[in-house]
Amino acid sequence: MIKVEDLYKVYESKKKNVKEKIEAVNNISFQCKPGEIFGLLGPNGAGKTTTLRCISTLIKPTWGNIYLDEYNVLEDEKIIRSKIGFLTTDMKLDGFFTPDYMLSYFGRLNKMQKSEIEQRKEKLFNDLQMEDFIDKKIDKLSSGMTQKTAIAISLIHDPEVIIFDEPTNGLDVITAKNVTDFLEKYAEQGKTVIISTHIMSIAEKLCDRIGILIEGELKKMGSLEEIISGSNADNLEDVFYKFLIPDYGSQEGVEDV
Amino acid sequence: MFKDSLVILQKELKRIFTDRRMLVMLVIVPMVMLPVMYSIMAKVSKTRSADIAEYTSQIYIHTGTQSSSEIIDKFTEGLQELNAKITRVPKSQIENIKQLVKEKEVQLLIVFPDNISENLQQYDPFDIRVYYNSISDYSEHAYSSVKEKFNEISKNVVQDRIVKENLPDNILTPFTINRTVKPSEVNLAEKGSMIGKVMGILLPFFILIYLFANSMKVGLDTVAGEKERGTLAILLVNQVDRLAIVIGKMFSVIIAAFVGAASSVVGLIIASRFFISMFGASSTDVGSYAMHSQTILQFAIVVLPLALLLVSLVMLVSTYAKNPKEGQGMIMPVYIVVMIMGISTMQIGDVPPQWMRIAPVFNSLIALKGVFMQNETWANVLQALLVNLVVSGILIYIILKMFRDEKILFKI
Repeated sequence: MIKVEDLYKVYESKKKNVKEKIEAVNNISFQCKPGEIFGLLGPNGAGKTTTLRCISTLIKPTWGNIYLDEYNVLEDEKIIRSKIGFLTTDMKLDGFFTPDYMLSYFGRLNKMQKSEIEQRKEKLFNDLQMEDFIDKKIDKLSSGMTQKTAIAISLIHDPEVIIFDEPTNGLDVITAKNVTDFLEKYAEQGKTVIISTHIMSIAEKLCDRIGILIEGELKKMGSLEEIISGSNADNLEDVFYKFLIPDYGSQEGVEDV
Repeated sequence: MFKDSLVILQKELKRIFTDRRMLVMLVIVPMVMLPVMYSIMAKVSKTRSADIAEYTSQIYIHTGTQSSSEIIDKFTEGLQELNAKITRVPKSQIENIKQLVKEKEVQLLIVFPDNISENLQQYDPFDIRVYYNSISDYSEHAYSSVKEKFNEISKNVVQDRIVKENLPDNILTPFTINRTVKPSEVNLAEKGSMIGKVMGILLPFFILIYLFANSMKVGLDTVAGEKERGTLAILLVNQVDRLAIVIGKMFSVIIAAFVGAASSVVGLIIASRFFISMFGASSTDVGSYAMHSQTILQFAIVVLPLALLLVSLVMLVSTYAKNPKEGQGMIMPVYIVVMIMGISTMQIGDVPPQWMRIAPVFNSLIALKGVFMQNETWANVLQALLVNLVVSGILIYIILKMFRDEKILFKI
């Protein structure tokens, strides 16, 4: 189980020699249980990627704690890395290698034995229907095939938690559907899935629980029903825009000219 | 940890050495380019020299008031021995011919003063004006040929005067230098040392440049490229120590840089037959030069830390830059500085300034020069090793710090 407690992350930047503090994430807390898909929904710059990077040990929280079971990201980062798979659609795999080679490479970096790697590769190739292109160079693959390869890489060590930053960003409809189907299946196996997205429909269809993150603050959290019913809104979009645009809805009923 | 470094090293080497394009750029091009480049340069230079030598120059002479005299005849006979068409002109034409020399239509104009026979008889020196155009190769060549010919005539005139005065004809030659011995009897340099000197001047510079250029070709992509592609995050989220990543990537760049530099040096050795004569050595000298086991050991001890230092510099930039393109912009000034360092050490004499012995890069270049000339001391070799290892260590420490700095890794 992933437990985020009072996560606070500040970036310092220098503009015209003046130091500026940017609160990327401001005191957010949430949990994600095994078998659950938790989605961080927010616009660009809301702090979604920062939160996911903190959970993945890529960056350190300024304050607060993140736990994976009893392990803390600040103290047990190596153990946590062995239990998570991190993926972002911004990633462009080196087109020179084949999926087969890349999976073996990351398997070895994850301290897996050769036989273990082979078994795991076989399962992933089968689950993700990759058999036809495992020996083709990545730059010869379609975007869907490349995405499957990236997913397989992040899952080579059979992580308990998968963290996926914008899983459908830039993907065509079919590839996006494949990815969401796969994430659902993965959660059904009792794994924990945390994603970030700015697409309402993905959050609605895929996530068991959603956290609306705006300007670093978790404005609302719960299942889709809980969020909608507790916000006096018709759908997730309305809830989202109410937080995003303060006078959203006040113009309802005004006819378009 | 080193097992992880090895995994990363293997992957990086596979990336470099099984990519046909990279292989061509790294190994084939330098090996072929240098011989081709130097053979073209040698051919062009040979053709140019032959063309100049074969050219029939247009030489105009004005013989002053005397149209014919013994001395004038001597000068004209001398000129006729040259590959030139000689035309006499009256004084009124002098300015026109000067203009033609300026316009490269005529190669030379020689103007003799009046009454040179009298001047000669009275031992009164006179000045012959030879107008030429230094911009024109033909004019320049004709000028030097004429000067040589006239100096010969001058010597003959002096010889005649000595005879006339009943003086011994060796009066003008009080002594000679090495006239009665073979050059090899008096040049006590060891066999093959001339080629060692040539190599000592050229190779350190080329090794430096090729090591750095190849490190750039490969090294900028190893971290900055992964940053740009977003794959660095995937690597960092694995259970790999950051030091293992740095070591693995760094050694792959060192190996690639060495392979590239070795192929360039092979190309340079092949090309040496085209330029070795410029340094007063011959192709047979190349065969007489042999590197002893001590030289090879000293060479390795100097070159390895130099490569480590250069690769560390490239990796530092690669780690700091957002993408390879930014890295390229950042590394270019460093490359220029390194090139200047290489060129400046080519000009240094037998005893380099002491500060260069402790300055990184400089110390390796100077030590390499001594190694190729087979007269470098172990103290200097070890000093270069130590200094470069310490500086590389500092750079690697900074790279590691950067690898732990989220601002640099993710440019946030």
